[in-house]
Amino acid sequence: MLILALETSTMVSSVAVATEEKLLAEITVQTRLTHSETLMPHIQEVLRLADVQKEDMEAVAVSIGPGSFTGLRIGLAAAKGMAYALHIPITGVPTLAALAARFPVPGAYLAPLMDAQKGHAYMAMFSWQADELHTEQNIEILSLDEVLEHCAAKKAPVVLAGDIARKKLASRTDLPDNVSVAPPALVMPRAAEVAFLGLQQLAAGKAGNVMDMEPVYIRRSEAEVLWEARHGKTVS
Amino acid sequence: MKEEQERLTLAIESSCDETSAAVLRGGRTLLSNIIATQIPVHQKFGGVVPEIASRKHIVNVMPVIDEALRQAKVALNDIDQIAVTYGPGLVGALLVGVSAAKSLAFSLGVPLIGVNHLEGHIFANFLSAPNLEPPFMALVVSGGHTSLVQVKGYNHFVLMGQTRDDAAGEAFDKVARVMGLPYPGGPQIDRLAKDGNPAAIDFPKALQDKGNYEFSFSGLKSAVLNYLNSMKLKQQPVNKADVAASFQRAVIEVLVAKALEAMHATGMRTLVLAGGVAANSALEGRLREAAQAQGIRFYYPSTVLCTDNAAMIACRGYYQSLAGRFSNLYLNAVPGLDLTDMDAEN
Ligand SMILES: [Zn+2]
Repeated sequence: MLILALETSTMVSSVAVATEEKLLAEITVQTRLTHSETLMPHIQEVLRLADVQKEDMEAVAVSIGPGSFTGLRIGLAAAKGMAYALHIPITGVPTLAALAARFPVPGAYLAPLMDAQKGHAYMAMFSWQADELHTEQNIEILSLDEVLEHCAAKKAPVVLAGDIARKKLASRTDLPDNVSVAPPALVMPRAAEVAFLGLQQLAAGKAGNVMDMEPVYIRRSEAEVLWEARHGKTVS
Repeated sequence: MKEEQERLTLAIESSCDETSAAVLRGGRTLLSNIIATQIPVHQKFGGVVPEIASRKHIVNVMPVIDEALRQAKVALNDIDQIAVTYGPGLVGALLVGVSAAKSLAFSLGVPLIGVNHLEGHIFANFLSAPNLEPPFMALVVSGGHTSLVQVKGYNHFVLMGQTRDDAAGEAFDKVARVMGLPYPGGPQIDRLAKDGNPAAIDFPKALQDKGNYEFSFSGLKSAVLNYLNSMKLKQQPVNKADVAASFQRAVIEVLVAKALEAMHATGMRTLVLAGGVAANSALEGRLREAAQAQGIRFYYPSTVLCTDNAAMIACRGYYQSLAGRFSNLYLNAVPGLDLTDMDAEN
């Protein structure tokens, strides 16, 4: 199955074309340009590089979050438009799982992080079992100190990945001995993994609905949080 | 491309708190105009919360497009071009519509047309009034803008003047808020003013010198706030209906006077009202009377076309396409996009 994958959850703009066995082409760019400007031109270019027509696409996968709210929406809106216009299935791939999928190391733990602002990170923990990514710990919002505590508690090597792993943790002198930070090329989310996890999800019958899909935000909007603090009840 | 009158435009609008999609045949035949409003969602916050608006847009965008095509009885593959609002508005909200529109245009292999929301408001009048044609004077009054625009042709605008500070609609919303009226405040003031005396309080009117087509509403807004505060300090009861009526009169008198002066100065004989505040019944009524008294033709959009909607974006997009004004896939949202002079002759 020929799949187009989009990854816009961070500053990295990444698009890929793949089948189950092969990554045909990937464009991964980390510049100051906004996703809004570059995403569609990159999609056009990656299809050209892969030597396929948009009409040949059989599915579209999109990194669904957590991550930058605006970035996620730009990717999802583009994915929805393509799925709708080309009549192909869409699937939302958990961003942290896609990050972990770069490290198929049995016996190790993978702890992908995403910036949750104000000194916090979204963290999940995965391991490899029987050639598959296994979720050890679901997504939580943790302070960076708590992230390191969680990692130190593991009795095995832990690999940290994700946009803030290098930025905020790589230079810390109190990194636990069992923890390593992925190198720059591996630390950022990329569309290739979104493509392969997307194909797996579709094979397992996990397609999304183009009519009501939304990003995985984890966090609510600030306005809702403030409103609830002030009124002592939940916003319905 | 098909015959121009048969050209099908699909438009998307997501600049603020309405997600909308529309299908238009040619320049004037509206086949569908679907609007998913978020007003109830934002009401408890007293105004539009940008992040919440964006979250609603990403959920609503495909259903409104799907429904617009269904109601128009048109298949997506029959669409000839995609128009989308790229500004002004809330950046996160705009980006949802822009991203979806670019993706659809690319996937279908049809041209993309980035549309200025304010120009869209003016063009809503072409849908309400099938016989309306340029040239005319447009008074654009919305939550974000107050402008006088000379529309010389479908792609030929001359900006006569705009607000230096608050937009008229913004003043309405802020005054409503301090009076404790629910969001959105404009219609509430309009309703309340009907029971008040417009001459009860003499609020100031700014920039009244001749030949000045700029507006300013921040002084008026402050005067209303000061009045309410001083009454509170003096522990005197406030007649809210009188405040609403007097405030509204001050806004409307300035708008009407400047619009008419601009008409005289340019020799235009047709006046068009546009923007969200065009739904204000007192403004529409006063402009109509003033125009009638001077033999000026007056147009304003039907209520549904006054609010933010994709039909007006489709109409503007269609006339841009006739002039070859298309966008490429790099199109970005421009939250502070202004109405500027545009000089194409067609
Ligand atoms: Zn508007």
